[in-house]
Amino acid sequence: MSESTAPPEDEEVAHHDEHESTGVENRKLGMWVFLSSEFLFFGALITNYLLYFGREFEQGPTPSEIYDIPFTSVSSFVLLMSSLTMVLAHNALTRRDQGATRTWLLATAMLGSVFLAGQVFEFTEFIVEYDMTLSTNPAASSFYVLTGFHGTHVAIGVIMLLSLFGLSKRLGGLSERQHLNLELVGLYWHFVDIIWIVIFTVVYLLTATSGG
Amino acid sequence: MTEEHHATHPQPAQYVKIAVVLATLTAVEVGLYYLNNSLSLGWINTALLLILAALKFLIVIGWYMHLRFEKRTLSRFFGFGFVLALTLYAVVLVGFGVLALNR
Repeated sequence: MSESTAPPEDEEVAHHDEHESTGVENRKLGMWVFLSSEFLFFGALITNYLLYFGREFEQGPTPSEIYDIPFTSVSSFVLLMSSLTMVLAHNALTRRDQGATRTWLLATAMLGSVFLAGQVFEFTEFIVEYDMTLSTNPAASSFYVLTGFHGTHVAIGVIMLLSLFGLSKRLGGLSERQHLNLELVGLYWHFVDIIWIVIFTVVYLLTATSGG
Repeated sequence: MTEEHHATHPQPAQYVKIAVVLATLTAVEVGLYYLNNSLSLGWINTALLLILAALKFLIVIGWYMHLRFEKRTLSRFFGFGFVLALTLYAVVLVGFGVLALNR
């Protein structure tokens, strides 16, 4: 954990060349703009879910009738804590502690995987126990599409985290340029977390409350 | 990132404290859910849950994503997307009668 190796310095100049008139690295600015656009993407999916919430359908249960709030609360807690491990990975790299960086990266990927496993379990339970599939009714469809897309984002994040972990392991540490990569992956990961904060409250707690 | 930029960032102990605050807020949210099931708090429950979610949202963006330590350009880009999405979909929800303004 306390292993500290000097990162390769060959790309330091390239890193500083990326500064533009905005005073922000182009890739970093690009990531923030991308994340900003993601609000519209997830906003559309959450709105779609809310449009069908509270309506009655001939077939099957609606998601709000069968939510397992205690289980989802634990999943939310796991994802929230993965934001802590992510920021600790970033902090460790800032201190050039490559060993700790790898440890926290792996911890974040594992917490993300636990969250994904929870989502797979939830989907399986809804399908097997309650017979609520993607095509059961529009409310079920909107729920699966929303949480499925969020899960896909988490899965992409896990892949990026494991890639950074593998790269660090192979090269013996992350360089100055890869420092920015880790920061960008961190931004993406925290964004996935804040989207879940909204989903957990609006889609789970509020609609289950009203539905129940 | 410059050295002075990093100097303003919180230290690991502070990040852990922030995580404890986030976990506590989540526990309060879940507690409210159960309280509402037995006491039917109505709009108060909705308002409190949304306020708690907004707090968690702002804490993660501000401290974990370091937006409060970054240049204002980034806040503006990020905030624009958020406000645009919020406005657009609020209009859609009001239009479809999901958010009833006269209730």
